[in-house]
Amino acid sequence: MPEWGRTTLEMIVQDLQRPVILDESFERRVMVRVRRLYREQKKRSRGWTAIGATIAHRPAWAALVAAGIVAVATAGILKARPREEVVVGGPEPVKFVLVAPSAKSVAVVGDFNNWGLNKSALVATSNQGVWSVTASVPVGVHRYAFVVNGKQWMADPTAPRSSGDDFGMPSSALVVEDSTK
Amino acid sequence: MTRNLILIAGFASMSVRATAQDPRLPARLDAPTIAAINAVVDSAKAQGIPIAPLYDKMNEGMAAGADGPHIVTAVRNLSMDLASAHRALGALATADEIKAAAYAMHAGVPAVELGRLKKQSGLRRSLTLPFTILADIVSRGVPVSTAANAIRSLVGAGAKDKDINDFQRNVKVDIEQGAPPAAAAETRAKGAPSADKPKSEKPDQIEM
Repeated sequence: MPEWGRTTLEMIVQDLQRPVILDESFERRVMVRVRRLYREQKKRSRGWTAIGATIAHRPAWAALVAAGIVAVATAGILKARPREEVVVGGPEPVKFVLVAPSAKSVAVVGDFNNWGLNKSALVATSNQGVWSVTASVPVGVHRYAFVVNGKQWMADPTAPRSSGDDFGMPSSALVVEDSTK
Repeated sequence: MTRNLILIAGFASMSVRATAQDPRLPARLDAPTIAAINAVVDSAKAQGIPIAPLYDKMNEGMAAGADGPHIVTAVRNLSMDLASAHRALGALATADEIKAAAYAMHAGVPAVELGRLKKQSGLRRSLTLPFTILADIVSRGVPVSTAANAIRSLVGAGAKDKDINDFQRNVKVDIEQGAPPAAAAETRAKGAPSADKPKSEKPDQIEM
């Protein structure tokens, strides 16, 4: 380090080491400000500390408040409805495939298209007897069936069976998962 | 006079309410069937049971060409299964879980088994698919207790939905090839992958 640099550095250090002299009123002004801040803070938090003190000194009150909180939480849980209306994910594409070389037509009906009422059945197209159709199906659990040649209902042989065939028509179960999860 | 007018207005509003029909009820159903289904739906609503499956069942019956009384019976039975499933699974179960559980009950799985599964799995794990698979393998002849144990062990071991789907496919193929249903389910449940099991290392990755 050159001489001029060393000298400059020594001067800076000496200046920084020099004691700071404050005027006499400085400490008094600081303490006034600190006391004021402390009073304001205490005033703001007095409500909660008062409640805390009451509860601490009266166990019966504490038990009553705790019981109230538990009752409100329990009532909320008991009144909770199944999350039917909350649709987290949108419809997901599902491909339905049925191998039926001798079929003239194949359609898909299920609870996602009102079981084909009002001509809502999904019409499949054939590729040498391999019938398929892709549809957007809402996330959730569904039941569906293939309708072959416009009248014969049959379950999807590759899917889980659905047990709710109250009308003598076989059907399959489909669980559509939310792809965004 | 004023009192009579109020009474007439009251009766008029009541009759309008009685004839008002849910838009989801199609016009082709006869009046007694509509009234009976409305009553079942109202009761389900009051109990906090999902009502969409009830309308789905009605549509299914109509598409299948069933008569009114048959449709009402099916809707009422489903409503009772949904109510039992709702009670068994608790208030925090989703509508899909309740629906899947109701169909599992229809297949012969007791509500208590479904409730036990829900308690074991906690809130984060959806049981919609496990209940669906449980209903499927029971309908293929796997005894209820064996099927429930298999699904419980899979869920307890942290198996994903994909693993449980694979389990169902394997059990189905085994049964179709002549295996006793119980043996197929027991064996496949033991061999199914789970989240707890460490992934096997390839031979060239093992340090000597």
